[in-house]
Amino acid sequence: MSQTTVTTPSPQTPPAAGPSHEGRAARWFLYSGVFWLFVPGLAGLVMALFLYDARTQEWVPEPLRSAVIFGRLRPLHVNLLLFGWLSMAYAGSILHIVPRLTGAPLYAEPLARLNVFLWNLLVLGAAVSLPLGFTQGREYAELVWPLDLLQLLCFGILAVNVWGTALRRRVQQLYISVWSFMAATSIGPLVYAVGNKVWDPSGAYTGMNDAIMNYFYVHNIFNAWFTTGALGLAFYLLPKLTGNPLFSHRLAIWGFASVWTGQHHLLYGPGPEWLEIFSVGFSILTFLPNAAFTLNYVKTMEGAWHKVRESVALRFLAVGCAFYIVTCLQGIAQSFRGFNAMVHFTNWVIGHSHLAFVADYSFFCFALVYTFVPQLLGRALHSRRLMEWHFWLTLVGLTVFMVDLWVAGLVQGQSWSTGGIPFMETVRAMQPYYLIRLLAGLAVGAGQVCFAITIWKTARGEAAYPALRPGAALA
Amino acid sequence: MRPPSIRYLLFGSLLFLLAGMAVTVGLPALDEAPPSALAVRYTPQEERGRAIYLREGCGYCHTQQVRAVEVERGTVHVRGDIGPESAPGDYAFQKPVLWGTSRQGPDLSHVAGRPPGNSREWQLQHLAEPQRFNPGTVMPSFRHLPREELDALADYLMTLR
Repeated sequence: MSQTTVTTPSPQTPPAAGPSHEGRAARWFLYSGVFWLFVPGLAGLVMALFLYDARTQEWVPEPLRSAVIFGRLRPLHVNLLLFGWLSMAYAGSILHIVPRLTGAPLYAEPLARLNVFLWNLLVLGAAVSLPLGFTQGREYAELVWPLDLLQLLCFGILAVNVWGTALRRRVQQLYISVWSFMAATSIGPLVYAVGNKVWDPSGAYTGMNDAIMNYFYVHNIFNAWFTTGALGLAFYLLPKLTGNPLFSHRLAIWGFASVWTGQHHLLYGPGPEWLEIFSVGFSILTFLPNAAFTLNYVKTMEGAWHKVRESVALRFLAVGCAFYIVTCLQGIAQSFRGFNAMVHFTNWVIGHSHLAFVADYSFFCFALVYTFVPQLLGRALHSRRLMEWHFWLTLVGLTVFMVDLWVAGLVQGQSWSTGGIPFMETVRAMQPYYLIRLLAGLAVGAGQVCFAITIWKTARGEAAYPALRPGAALA
Repeated sequence: MRPPSIRYLLFGSLLFLLAGMAVTVGLPALDEAPPSALAVRYTPQEERGRAIYLREGCGYCHTQQVRAVEVERGTVHVRGDIGPESAPGDYAFQKPVLWGTSRQGPDLSHVAGRPPGNSREWQLQHLAEPQRFNPGTVMPSFRHLPREELDALADYLMTLR
């Protein structure tokens, strides 16, 4: 390995290329993420079908019926999307980016490879144990105790690599992304440990405290790992794909302010009222970091909007960032007590969670995979046409999916808060919405097939088709 | 003006997290509610049924939490039959709680008293054949569960008074 020239990233611009380093762990993390995306995706489609018409459950062969049932597919869907696809795409991207931003080789590549192996083991464990009914039954914290410990080990190894590399850095100033990753890999596991009560194999607290802790955890694993990680990734990719420097490093630091808001999930519930009001207050305050992000996004994109036509990766990122801004605003709206009273427990919330985890962070991850896989392999992506199909099927399908669920949620909320309408009628009224959701979900699924084929063929070294113009080859 | 140093940022955010935890989790824990009249000390059989409820993911479609805003208004069959508002003390012996976040089906906080006649028998039949009671329901049949598990589940549902 020759490292004659070490690029020095200024705090404003990530360097175009870092020192040479072996990127096998990063690459396998990205591949694994793409592979695991399909399990929660399929589970989601099956659930959408079951909700559209419950009689389709009779199609499931008798021996499989205990495993292929809504109540067991739902934790599989959520956990594998979060801790399989998203987390592994994050981990691969982080391992790829940190050496480039610090000018130092990755702290321990063998450890990173062990990390890929263990993380796959974890996700495989989740994919097997959840349908078999091994669950702790707390949202986002369903994984059983041994898997909780394995998850912490995976986070820990990733943290060693991130911190180890950052501490050996050859540049004085750390770019915002590196500090985001340092925070995400240290504070994320802390939230995971407390939320999952890892010192107790049952993983649960008792009574009110369990509910309060559960929603502290749900909201803060989202903040500390998924959002902090995603912002670090976005602030790396935005300048890189637009060719513009990040508008403001100082504003980017304001991404971490919504730790205190978890209890807005429990409005009007049995919890203490002061806590609800408190969490609403802090939820409104998240307007500030959101405004800072919006400004940074729009100003960094300035003069580069036309590039979204050329680069599918930038398009995914730009649309993902716009959706992220909408997510934050929607989140604030949902924390208003009147609105919350109506939409809580409805399909609106399902739409909101898909906005956050699919339209925002998965879009970021598509951009990351499309940017880093060619870099790591040193060759162009296989098919521009399939990438276009991936983008449009996903965007259109997902938009229809989310709008459909939001409308469905408003209809449900309105019926329930009117009172006097038998509950069963409000269930039957959902059927058309569930049909639209199923069809939209199929479109999103078809998009992901295009995605997987592109990555598979690129990994196998099949020639790019159709041939790309030289300048666009690696974007 | 230099951006703040990394140490400052990391310790700052850690501190912010810990303070947030102290206020939003720690403080409420100090103020633990005594068990209410609805709090149940489960028998081993009921506890077993509760574990089956959790294992089968009933809580992904059914909540166990009646909010203040829906008392007198929330409807399963007739206006207000959702039952009385849930109080912190109702959950005193539950580990974990099964509040749920989504209602594909109705709230079950007070489901035991809802069906007419022999409620336990109704629960058993409904678990096996939900379509017979509610055509068009999205609830799956749980006929595939062993009979003793269905019994335990029904015994647990009967604690939801």
